[in-house]
Amino acid sequence: MVMVTSKKDVQTLSAVEGDIWAEFRQIERLNLSLTQTYVHTLGKYSRFFIELEHQRLLATRCATCERVYAPPRPLCPHCVQPTAWIELPGTGTVETFSVLHFSPGSNADVAALPTPYVFAYSLLDGASTLFPHLLRCAPEQVAIGLRVRVQFATEAVEHPIHLIYFVPME
Amino acid sequence: MSQSVPVVAGVGMTRFASDRPDCNARDLLGEAVLALLVDTGMSHLHAVQHGLCSYESDHFNKQMTLAAILHDHIGLLPTPTVRVEGGGATGALALRTAWAHIQSGLCESILVYGCETNGRGVSSQTANQLFALSADFDWEMMIGGTYTGFYAAMMRAHMHKYGTTPEQFAHVAVRNRRNAQYNPLAQKPMDLTIADVLNSRPVAEPYRLLDCSLLSDGAAVVLLSTEAWAREHCPRFTQRPVVHYAATGCGTDTMRLGDRYPDITNFRAKQTAAQQAYAMVGITTPLEEIDVAELYDSYSGVEIQAVEDLGFVPYGEGGRAIASGLFDLDGQLPVNTSGGLLGRGAPVGATGIAQAIEIAQQLWGEADLRRQVKAARRGLTDTHAGIATISVVNIFERRD
Ligand SMILES: [Zn+2]
Repeated sequence: MVMVTSKKDVQTLSAVEGDIWAEFRQIERLNLSLTQTYVHTLGKYSRFFIELEHQRLLATRCATCERVYAPPRPLCPHCVQPTAWIELPGTGTVETFSVLHFSPGSNADVAALPTPYVFAYSLLDGASTLFPHLLRCAPEQVAIGLRVRVQFATEAVEHPIHLIYFVPME
Repeated sequence: MSQSVPVVAGVGMTRFASDRPDCNARDLLGEAVLALLVDTGMSHLHAVQHGLCSYESDHFNKQMTLAAILHDHIGLLPTPTVRVEGGGATGALALRTAWAHIQSGLCESILVYGCETNGRGVSSQTANQLFALSADFDWEMMIGGTYTGFYAAMMRAHMHKYGTTPEQFAHVAVRNRRNAQYNPLAQKPMDLTIADVLNSRPVAEPYRLLDCSLLSDGAAVVLLSTEAWAREHCPRFTQRPVVHYAATGCGTDTMRLGDRYPDITNFRAKQTAAQQAYAMVGITTPLEEIDVAELYDSYSGVEIQAVEDLGFVPYGEGGRAIASGLFDLDGQLPVNTSGGLLGRGAPVGATGIAQAIEIAQQLWGEADLRRQVKAARRGLTDTHAGIATISVVNIFERRD
């Protein structure tokens, strides 16, 4: 007999009276793995990530409506005009958050996070939108209104968004 | 416009299940279509003029251009078809698109077919990753954000602003799974207490395991047509009241919650969609003018936000109204009589279609008697993608 290397199992489902699918009750399942590798461009957002390596936190500002976007937007959706880079001081206030007890392990950086971890949205000083970020603190320490500041990573990261995280301000 | 308002000519669906090892997507759809044939009294679909395919994920289904395969599988060749995709709103958006096909006169009949294999084909970690691909990749997914987390952060803000409590949203988790006990096609009927929900393990605080909806395998189809076409081709059509697909609305919002600041407690796109649909049929007091509704309870607290955004109760009143039983089976406006996403299940591309099926059956008076809403004449479905990044409201009316 020739081996099917990916075969997981074969089962025969129990017959049900009057089942119109009685001919189709034997089921085979395979273990299937699909792997894709991408060249992923950070596009017009690139400078944000490059400057994180130099410990600078950038946003973009629309000269027409004066909105400041953090995360940056290259194109202001209100004015449909290109924006310009500005630097933020890296402090802010938690507007809402969740304590996550289950990690999706989306990349090596996330897989390395101890659970539970705090996922927060803060209004950064000087910005008009909320910035989503990891907040390194004890879960019971986080509350809406908590003042936070940016910290820059000291260890190598896989995705450059992990070059920063936030901590409560002393 | 009213001359070509689509009617619901017939419906069919599988039971939703956490795992159907005996079915891939096309197998599931085949079962739903056989149920449609029983429902309509038709023996095949040869007279149907158009198809409309509803599935969300090429990743879960491991198949692109699935519409072509499904269309062939159920005998609709060589009629036209098109696939509609709008995240969690896919099924409702597919129906809305089909509504326009009939209204425009492009065809007199169109089969909206939806299916998804979101069940146990992948691990829950892989499922979370695949769903997180519909978050903003570099800014949310890459830092470990999950949809449960985004919804949880919204609910945290709602609690902070309005005093909404976990006991109030646990009411939704209990009631919808109880309603599912009266629906033989539901995935997870359960008899729970508020304490059971509050004692389940935290997933993304404030949401706990029993606040979260299900991953499902399943399929659902709705046949829409002009009334004349249904009378000619569906033998059972004249044996039940005529149900019009009377109105549809759709709204959109930013992908990232933070870009909505300061409006982070509720779903603006849902309000937009509802206002459009209400205007089409002249609804001004939705709580009084709607008899039954299927709401998108992807998480228990989402239903609290929805009853506010749909205008059933004022902003900030959702939690108290829900805990008071206003939306229970014996309340003023029963919602999620099917069990909702929490109890009936949610194979994404079939979800919005299954919601419409529940409303049609309620308006026909054909629901299980334990969940049948008395004298229901107008019903609503509320379906959204992401954190209501795309939101669709559809309204159905009994005409007799
Ligand atoms: Zn602008």
